[in-house]
Amino acid sequence: MAPYLQPRVDGDLRSLLDDRVWLHRLVDALGSPVNLVLPGHVAENVRRFRAVYRARHLSGHIFFAHKANRSQALVRGLAAADAGIDVASLGELRNALAAGFTPERIMATGPKSREFLWLAARAGVIVNADSTTELDALAGILRAHALPRVRVMARLSGFAPTGANMLTRASRFGIPVTGLATLWEVLEKQRDLLDFHGVAYHLDTVGLPEKAAALEGCLHAMDEAGRQGLSPRAIDAGGGFGVSYLADESQWEAWTTELTGAVLGKRPPLTWNGHGYGLRNEGGKLRGMLSVYPGYRTIAGPAYLDRLLDTESATHRRTLGTLLLDSMYDLHVEPGRALLDQCGAVLLRVEEVRDDGHGETLVRLAGNGGDIALEQHGVLMDPLLVPRGEPGPEEPAGVYLTGNLCLEADLITRRKVFLSRQPEPGDLLVFVNTAGYLMDFSAGEALMQPSARTVAAYRGRDGWQWCLDEQYWPVTGREETA
Amino acid sequence: MRYDSVTDVIGDTPLVRIDAAVHGLRNIDLYAKMELLNPFGSVKDRAAWNMVRDRIAGAAERGDTVVELSSGNTAKALALIAAMHGLPFRSVTNRMKVPEIKDLLLLLGAQIDELPGRSECLDPDDTDDPLTRMYHTVSADGGGYLHTDQYFNELNVDAHTHGTGREIIADLGGRAPDYFIACVGTAGSSTGVARALRAHDPATTVVGLVAQKSDFIPGIRNIDEVHEVGLFDPGTYDTIEAVSSDEAIDGLLTLVRRCGTLAGPTGGGAYQGAVRYLRGIDETLTERRTAVFIVCDRVESYLSYLRERRPELFQQPARAQTLRTLTDGDLAAARTIGVADAEEWIDKESPLVVDLRSPFAYRALHIDRSINIVDDLFGEMLHGGLPFGRRQPVLLVCPVGEKSARYAALLTRMGHQDVRSLAGGVIAWRDAGAELVRD
Repeated sequence: MAPYLQPRVDGDLRSLLDDRVWLHRLVDALGSPVNLVLPGHVAENVRRFRAVYRARHLSGHIFFAHKANRSQALVRGLAAADAGIDVASLGELRNALAAGFTPERIMATGPKSREFLWLAARAGVIVNADSTTELDALAGILRAHALPRVRVMARLSGFAPTGANMLTRASRFGIPVTGLATLWEVLEKQRDLLDFHGVAYHLDTVGLPEKAAALEGCLHAMDEAGRQGLSPRAIDAGGGFGVSYLADESQWEAWTTELTGAVLGKRPPLTWNGHGYGLRNEGGKLRGMLSVYPGYRTIAGPAYLDRLLDTESATHRRTLGTLLLDSMYDLHVEPGRALLDQCGAVLLRVEEVRDDGHGETLVRLAGNGGDIALEQHGVLMDPLLVPRGEPGPEEPAGVYLTGNLCLEADLITRRKVFLSRQPEPGDLLVFVNTAGYLMDFSAGEALMQPSARTVAAYRGRDGWQWCLDEQYWPVTGREETA
Repeated sequence: MRYDSVTDVIGDTPLVRIDAAVHGLRNIDLYAKMELLNPFGSVKDRAAWNMVRDRIAGAAERGDTVVELSSGNTAKALALIAAMHGLPFRSVTNRMKVPEIKDLLLLLGAQIDELPGRSECLDPDDTDDPLTRMYHTVSADGGGYLHTDQYFNELNVDAHTHGTGREIIADLGGRAPDYFIACVGTAGSSTGVARALRAHDPATTVVGLVAQKSDFIPGIRNIDEVHEVGLFDPGTYDTIEAVSSDEAIDGLLTLVRRCGTLAGPTGGGAYQGAVRYLRGIDETLTERRTAVFIVCDRVESYLSYLRERRPELFQQPARAQTLRTLTDGDLAAARTIGVADAEEWIDKESPLVVDLRSPFAYRALHIDRSINIVDDLFGEMLHGGLPFGRRQPVLLVCPVGEKSARYAALLTRMGHQDVRSLAGGVIAWRDAGAELVRD
């Protein structure tokens, strides 16, 4: 059995990818690569997150982390849904305002330029500050330009769990939770300019206990704020809810076991130049740590939020969700990847198939690692093969996928990818479920190779239709008859 | 029996025969090596003591910290031994998955360092994991640490070659068992015992048990993780088989309920894996054989592990006055009151206002002159009857008016005559601009 890592493909995306002729026409018209996004499906993902809120009577916004994808269509789809947006640059803020998000549905996060701060303040969006210095800078801008009071949140960091000393990765962002006195001072001093809305965290981890400790830490910070005479009302629990990329857990287990064997030299390599993805062989023992995204996750997306809110606080012996509700706090979240689950794919054409002279098959694609950032984000999954002509008989083939850059390092993935049959020039390889971070996060025009056109697919009167990303608006033209 | 130190009590554990009526094997005598009877409660007492006995005096002079990568029994044993010698103990662990062990370590005065979870936004270029970094820190000479390094330390194996293994042979009348079955954690006990048994009789069959990959059994590694263990050598085992946590718990229940042996999940896994392996052989046998498995530790530390996986084992007897027994009729009979009417009612009749939210939230903001009884506690009180007179007016308050309505229904069913639930809860109260105070 070939070690496949077959992606999970559901619902709309599945139905779209079943139409072979449609996909080929799209790439014929627009050239390879093509990014495909599904603005309709993102609203469905918002509904699933909202259901977690409803089940607990919680209120608050689901802010889409814009940085996960640049698509206009996705942002407009979200503007039409029950969602807010988290913007981390001046460009993203302009895009959000232009897509129709009203200020109370926009949260400005991340490192901010003065221009970004000014537009955020002028438009009246919530400013999620990384430091007390930033709060002072914001107050300065408000005063100088005679702007109205702005809602602010303070991002906190350095939460300590109870009992154990957690060796959490240090973050460059946020106000240390042990030094909140400065925060209260600034908020008191700038009281007439800054309307303190609440506290936030954003942890770069898949670990639930660390997030639970941070959420509990925020509850305590809110309590302290109350004692300082402030009246905050929301906690922002950030993102990092994750996506399960693979359909079948046993494939993930089998592949990681095979990789372990390959690193220990017990089977032929599964990767280019025997790359170990963080694992290494030291004297026959396995060292290091598998440094890839956990391809199969039993708890991801809305279910992860559900689990987090069901986690019991060690101090209060009550679940975090109940404590939030008891305290009448709104809960804000900022999912990126999880809101874009099953919302897009990248289509690449096969240019050439050849033997490398050492028994390996190289498949060169019209696109590169910047167009489909599997390696950059450590997500291991197979593309789907969409043949040009009638598909021949199935015969599993293990191949390496190379890009269109004149660089030794330009592999789409360092994994040997197993396909149901050997591809031929003209076939398409479709990398599914790539809308979150894997599509255009760092796409560029290296070597003046064309970058992908992004296309929005939507259900029209006669089945699936498409338009260029910037042409998409969430109107159907049939509103008059409604 | 008199001893000068509790560490002298380590080892010399009994070998106890499992009743054939329990395991059902016709031609095999199955024995349990009762490692749970070690003074600190597990097989790891042997390794822990053997790894430090010659170094602890020097460490005590220097004031070193004893450190180990462990989230279980080794940490427990080392914490106790370190404390006896006045030394701090530090346990570094990927994740404390068993809360009782974590609490126990804290009780013993250990410091627990937990390694962070996997990054969500990966930097694939950062392949130097926190564990390796930690390893370099604690292994440096003169760094102030006595690092016992159980996964790589041959003294871990020696403890079992000279102790556990020889004891088994002596207790079987100078013969090695035909089959030896053990779970693989650090591989110390299985490797050490296997060495002793094979030196005595090369024909002994050694079976290693690992956890199924997506499963978790405390103290056992899965088939990939064993390759990270320095002491693990696939050649030690005639065969390696996987056991599931379900099987481990089944085995644990057999041992605790039928054999008078308070085994933890690892012992349960070893028993169940042993019987499963031996059953096939048993049918083909014409003469008697012996088999030995290890009961590594005790069940008490795993109650929450068991509760999570087999909640039905912990069913409380049914109680009459609970929210779960409410009918639609009960709920329809409960009275609710809106914010404006409630304010007026409070002014006129001063009902007892009971806020059912957590004390934490109550302290921050609440309705003036309300009292706080958190819902769980309120529910407990109602098992014993009404905690106030049936004519005493009562206003129940919760976040959104859902839970308070259910408790109002329960009180009404119990005969209370004037209980009302605040419609929309304290959130509606706040949103209507009614007064909330902080004491």
